Amino acid sequence: MDCSDCLERLHPYLDRELSERELDEVRVHLDECGGCEPVFVLERVFLERLRGSATSDVCPDEVRERLILRIRQDARGGS
Amino acid sequence: MAAERADGVPAAPDIFEREALSYLDALYRTGLRMTRSEADAEDLVQETYIRAFRHRDQFTPGTNLKAWLFRILTNTFINSYRKRASQPQTTELGGVEETTLYHRMAQGPASSAGQPEHEVIDSMVDSEIKEALDELPERFRSVVVLDVEGFSYKEIAEMLDIPIGTVMSRLHRARRSLQRRLYDLARDRGIAAARAMPRPEGA
Repeated sequence: MDCSDCLERLHPYLDRELSERELDEVRVHLDECGGCEPVFVLERVFLERLRGSATSDVCPDEVRERLILRIRQDARGGS
Repeated sequence: MAAERADGVPAAPDIFEREALSYLDALYRTGLRMTRSEADAEDLVQETYIRAFRHRDQFTPGTNLKAWLFRILTNTFINSYRKRASQPQTTELGGVEETTLYHRMAQGPASSAGQPEHEVIDSMVDSEIKEALDELPERFRSVVVLDVEGFSYKEIAEMLDIPIGTVMSRLHRARRSLQRRLYDLARDRGIAAARAMPRPEGA
């Protein structure tokens, strides 16, 4: 595996979407290649930041209360 | 299969309801990002739950309830909301280069200042990240918001009814676009190392 093969698998690797075999190939390359490893590390830090921010919102309490009320009304009364 | 639904106050503590409602925050914020409207997000989530409760007999206990609910959410969104989503109908991401975040930073002035790249990421602001997400064309945004909720490529493909390869390419391009935008913002604000420690060019 060369650097461009490895970088092509950057996101599938970080997303845990590679087969065991491909996973091993990427790991072997990352161990050997000083150039690719920091690329992967930084990308992971960014994706964690993105995930953390994008999943930080919660449903406001008053919306939650309205929703639960209406859902239960529908479940009981049907329509 | 509708027999039990007549005037059914559940006899036992309703485990289905409790577990389903535990995903309310996740469904709401996903709806909010997809529709970009609080009112639409509320309607979308309401419709999702009402459909889920009406068809709860179609859910197989022991399988992934979160994914099942998100499938209803995305279906409802695609059928009822996508058309009137308040946005210019851009479906493409213009000019996303194949530059990784690392290489973008390495090429930029930040590296010459010797500032750790991680600090640039730390300096990115929540509100800017959400704005950058909201600015993505809907087809890219939807893939990203489902990804951050932890779904696999395959699950996202099924929810949006697109091939896995399309999920991968949209996710990839959306991330590159977000990185470019957020890195530029961080740099422009002068939080990035570029401004903190300027150095003469050409070492």
